[in-house]
Amino acid sequence: MEGSKIRESKGIIPLFGVYLSLCATQYYNKLSFDFEEKMGKKRESEARTLLIGAAQECGYATFQGIRDSWEWKQVVAPMIDNKEDQILGFVAVAVAFGWGDLAVEELIPGEKLIIRVSDSYEARGYLQQHGLAKSEKCYMLRGVAGAFMDLIYGGDYPEGLYVFSASETLCRAKGDAYCEFIARKSSHRSDA
Amino acid sequence: MTIFDWQSELNRDGHRVVISGQPIAMHCHHYNINLQKTLEETLGEEGVQLLYRSVEETNYNGLQHLFNQYKKIRTLKSKLEMAALLYQNCGLGILHFKKVRPNSAYIVSTSNHHVTGWLAKHGRRNTPGCHFTRGWIAGTLEVIYERPLGFYIVEERRCKMQGDDTCVFHVKER
Repeated sequence: MEGSKIRESKGIIPLFGVYLSLCATQYYNKLSFDFEEKMGKKRESEARTLLIGAAQECGYATFQGIRDSWEWKQVVAPMIDNKEDQILGFVAVAVAFGWGDLAVEELIPGEKLIIRVSDSYEARGYLQQHGLAKSEKCYMLRGVAGAFMDLIYGGDYPEGLYVFSASETLCRAKGDAYCEFIARKSSHRSDA
Repeated sequence: MTIFDWQSELNRDGHRVVISGQPIAMHCHHYNINLQKTLEETLGEEGVQLLYRSVEETNYNGLQHLFNQYKKIRTLKSKLEMAALLYQNCGLGILHFKKVRPNSAYIVSTSNHHVTGWLAKHGRRNTPGCHFTRGWIAGTLEVIYERPLGFYIVEERRCKMQGDDTCVFHVKER
């Protein structure tokens, strides 16, 4: 495999049109939650928006690459009957990436996506590092849920990015039984 | 020489992906570079330090766990080889530990994930940008020499993000 050769010679993993890396979830959690804390109460909302935005752009670019990849065309595409099925493929890849046990709860084409996760690494990490949270903490998955809808219904890049946005209505870090993400058309992009 | 078995260490534990039992996540350069840029632009040097310390602490914990599991890896050379192999297999890049002493070190990286990712997204920059690798090296040497977190300072004197041929890191005691 080309990716393996490059990993041997350069220590880089080029797959699906992006460069992949494997890092301890502790790193991402510490970075996100310490950033939020450093920004302080006044800039808390800005910190969250930045973290969610970073993940949404990543989710869009990564899964765009995955959808265009040889592997997707050979293995996944033959099982896809309609474009909504793509989201099930995206979710399976996200689980394989170690992001949590994502499952699609509901999908209304072009309108709404609900994803549930009972073991998000962000919620688990927050509980371990800080205890029970006062607000939802899964910023990466929140961005990714929006990106999945952007990719299917948002249109081409860059206009297609941020057409949808997700809220986290339930979060294990707050004591809920699972994390729940609802992606809908962004209010400021209702024309899209 | 005993070297750790990478393939048996990278596993699944239910839906979790683990290396030697510790949960990991795969992320692409877009996310990693977005996080770095967000921290640099929002908090400046404080953001750089936050990134550096996050990876320093995480790698310190991870390597300590691995060295405890592989008791036969005892020599400095084999520990450095194990650390470089982990860095490489995680898709983080190549590290050459050129000269390593308890109070100083000199390390060269011929390629790494953050350089490739940064150049792909933003092109060259005017300042060294391998904060992730600096933190990674600090955590590695603190574990190997059984020093506390924050004991070493790692400076990047040359960086491929600036157009240099390699990234060069110098380590000294704080």
